[in-house]
Amino acid sequence: MDLDEVQVTGQRRLRDTGVQRTVLDSLVLHQNVALSMSDILTQHSTLFIKSYGRATESTAEFRGTSPSHTQVLWNGMKINSPMLGTVDFSTIPAYFVDQANLLHGASSLTLTGGGLGGAVDMHTLPLFDQGHSLQYIQGAGSFRTFDQFLRYTYGNEHWSSSTRLVYSTSKNDFKYTNYDKLGHPTERNKSGYFDDVHAMQDVYYRDGKGNRIGLMGWYTHSLRGLPFLSVDYKNNTDFKNEHRHDAARAVVSWDRTLDQWNVGVRGGYLWQDNRYDYFTTRETVSTDITHARSRSQQGYVQANADWMPRANWLVTADLALYYNHVRSTDKSPFHIGDNYNLGRMEYNLSLSAKYRPVKNLSLSAILREECYRHDFVPVIPALFAEYVIHRPWNLVVKASVARNYRYPSMDDLYYKPGGNPNLRPERGITYDGGLECRIEKKRYSLSANLSAFDSYITDWILWTPNAKGYWQPSNLKKVHNYGTEMTATAMVRMKHHWKLTLTGNYAFTPSINKSERLADNDASYGKQLVYVPRHSTNLSGRLSWKTWTLTYQWTHYSERFTTTSNDVSYITGRLRPYFMNDISLEKTFQWRKCHASLKGCVNNLLGSEYVTVLSRPMAGRNFEIFLEIKPQWHKHKKK
Amino acid sequence: MLLSAFMLAAACSNSDPGIEPEAFGATGRGVFILCEGNYQAGNSTLSYYNPATREVENGIFQRANGAKLGDTGQSIQIYDGVAYVAMENSGIIWALDTATFRVRGQLTAGETEHMINPRYIHFLSSEKAYVTDLYSPYITVFNPRTMQYTGSISTRQAISFGYSSTEEMVQWGNRVFTNCWSYSNKILVIDTTRDVVCDSIVLDSWQPKSMALDSRGKLWVITDGGYSTGDDSFGDNIPHLYCIDATTLAIESDQPLDTDEANVQLAMNPDRTVLYLINNDVYRMEVTASHVPVRPFIEAGRNKNGTRNYLYGIGVDPHNGDIYVGDAVDYRQAGMVYRYSAEGTLIDQFRVGITPNGFAFK
Repeated sequence: MDLDEVQVTGQRRLRDTGVQRTVLDSLVLHQNVALSMSDILTQHSTLFIKSYGRATESTAEFRGTSPSHTQVLWNGMKINSPMLGTVDFSTIPAYFVDQANLLHGASSLTLTGGGLGGAVDMHTLPLFDQGHSLQYIQGAGSFRTFDQFLRYTYGNEHWSSSTRLVYSTSKNDFKYTNYDKLGHPTERNKSGYFDDVHAMQDVYYRDGKGNRIGLMGWYTHSLRGLPFLSVDYKNNTDFKNEHRHDAARAVVSWDRTLDQWNVGVRGGYLWQDNRYDYFTTRETVSTDITHARSRSQQGYVQANADWMPRANWLVTADLALYYNHVRSTDKSPFHIGDNYNLGRMEYNLSLSAKYRPVKNLSLSAILREECYRHDFVPVIPALFAEYVIHRPWNLVVKASVARNYRYPSMDDLYYKPGGNPNLRPERGITYDGGLECRIEKKRYSLSANLSAFDSYITDWILWTPNAKGYWQPSNLKKVHNYGTEMTATAMVRMKHHWKLTLTGNYAFTPSINKSERLADNDASYGKQLVYVPRHSTNLSGRLSWKTWTLTYQWTHYSERFTTTSNDVSYITGRLRPYFMNDISLEKTFQWRKCHASLKGCVNNLLGSEYVTVLSRPMAGRNFEIFLEIKPQWHKHKKK
Repeated sequence: MLLSAFMLAAACSNSDPGIEPEAFGATGRGVFILCEGNYQAGNSTLSYYNPATREVENGIFQRANGAKLGDTGQSIQIYDGVAYVAMENSGIIWALDTATFRVRGQLTAGETEHMINPRYIHFLSSEKAYVTDLYSPYITVFNPRTMQYTGSISTRQAISFGYSSTEEMVQWGNRVFTNCWSYSNKILVIDTTRDVVCDSIVLDSWQPKSMALDSRGKLWVITDGGYSTGDDSFGDNIPHLYCIDATTLAIESDQPLDTDEANVQLAMNPDRTVLYLINNDVYRMEVTASHVPVRPFIEAGRNKNGTRNYLYGIGVDPHNGDIYVGDAVDYRQAGMVYRYSAEGTLIDQFRVGITPNGFAFK
């Protein structure tokens, strides 16, 4: 496919002083229309994605923290569920994101508070001066999977407009050997179907005098079956178990760039509706097992100003206000009527100063204050520093130290039964250090990043069952996360139009429970957190020759424990290490009136039989082919 | 690099491709301990304890059969030398050989008309048993010898707040009593000659959780009292202990207990003259006594902050009266089982699977 590669600039920005950032550009994000952001993060980052399968819930964890410790922004607006504090990355098509910045640890404070693990910052980007462009991709794959993508863009000197549509549907009834049942029968994945529609429109206007206005809108409608467990003996034809999800997000922005000032104002709205139904209608008697509804609305305004009085000084201020309202209902036996129907305000204020006292040294300080309901979290301070050791290699040493707080989600506070209005914010302190280099030559380039971190989180909110049989959150846990993260990318241009790009990511993330023992026989102290791998690795290779491109992807997670005591004396106590291999081959065609490409993908090349969550089988070797068509029109030429 | 990655990946296996069945030959007396596991994780397990040698074997179902027990083990009982295990969220009842632990038969939700989430099994004969259900407004009837579905009994209960649950069962003459826990305050009476619900008892306290029948034909019922969360409440959130005459269905006593945050469970000693009750700690009460003693018979262990261990399940060995108490610890790690003598002396303690909730004695 003809993809636009975002070039990494060689200029070190004062704004990024000490920041540990992984940038995923459109070359990575737009490699395959069938991929969601959870697939991309699994294959191209050090984040751990806990996934229940394709088109089922997938959450992201930085550095062995929890999914709610990952803050997620879309065009500047936080999109974490106000109910749960998490984001389901399986509902975000990677083709709807033009650039994603992964901010590790303390670096997330440059954007928002609460990212005790980090932040994922996703953007759409304008395409000024690009003229008309139309792109259609048709995918067809195993298990009656069909993916359709349509994009129309227009850009002139002042305007940029992009319209995108994705429609993905699958029966997703793959066969697997069920090792969890007697005789290890071959079964099909039951109730795994999905039917997802996404539409996105973004429009940008720039006046050439430093003003830019943007309007971004995104609508999702998703109907997904919730797959049966491998140990479920019910007939799936007798039961309906599905999740309907609708969401609308919109952001409007105005940015003005002057000599010494950048100012911006944003507003946004987020609406989400979730319906979970699990019922049977055998013998005309309908029995509800799950009947849960939630509707959340979020309003958002933000203003920011950057002032650069001198070339070596940058002062920034940022104020964001969010109003969240959630109405949640279900048929729990522990409450009558609504679960809760409440709203709350959230305020975030950030001030920062960045200073470059000498040519190679940059310093940055951030103070952040956050408030939810009527409760202020303590002031969040963060300090960053970086020093350029060797400029030709862009060899930089970085360090940071930061406090951070995450306030409880609305379910943590109000869910019935169990919600605890007396919860305190979770507190974290993180120390980061690392090296970064980037070498760019005519024939090759190399970039690498190595970081080490040490992080302590106290008052970690943990849901535990109580004697009545329901779960309650409390500020129970203390966790020590430490380890290293490494990323490296190498590109070589060879003779005869050959080009090879290799990318690797590795994370070592011990995440150790240091909580006081719940009881005298609690064996969880000093143990790795449940479902957090100590090692995660991915490697990808992309070899292109003229109009051919071969891509290979290898992903690995080390074993994950399923109990807090890390007991492996019985077989369900751990999940074995996970290895995954995917390969694709693409051929592009360039005619005068039309460009086209044909791409074939083999996922799970070695046909591995595996689970990533207990009793949740995953698909074996499967295939998908994609045909892309891009009509070629007269491009708008800049005067 | 790619080649080495490929070779490494090719050399590694991702999943546990099942295990070879192991041969067991458990003779003499033994105790089966059902560990509930975590909901939706499919990690329920079964342990076997030899009281004579004090040896415990964990995960015996999977080891003996090369397959998982299932999701959310709810109850286990032994009848005619066969252990029957109700796996709630898997929708299956296993029949196991008590010596080899191998599967002898199974009844699945898919083979019946109304079974959804089986909870407890009550045996009327070697050819007839009842199964209660968390969701279904029917009690399933099956033949334990053939493990064939034979019919169902409508509970005739209107679905209350979306639930129509039936729980434990005890029998007095031709009557089987079953408590309706979820959002209910009823005890249903089933006529076993006609397989119909013929009567019911309405309690003042909500959510009857556990039942036991004493030697005099008195039905003991403990409720959890409903709940109270924030400004929302259902019932008074106080557990009540009822004594009901199983013949006249008259409520003879109603005692509120002094706790509002406890898992409550009942068990009887072998000659059914002593009632054991989990209510944070374990209490012992003569069935002729008028009140539950103030002081516990067995105190739950406490950490240095005074937090109690989570006592979760209780069983009494019908052969010698030994008391077995399951401790869930944090519900996400291997639980503990404490074995006490009938006098309350700790004899042994051992680790089992996640959340030990049921005991069956061979």
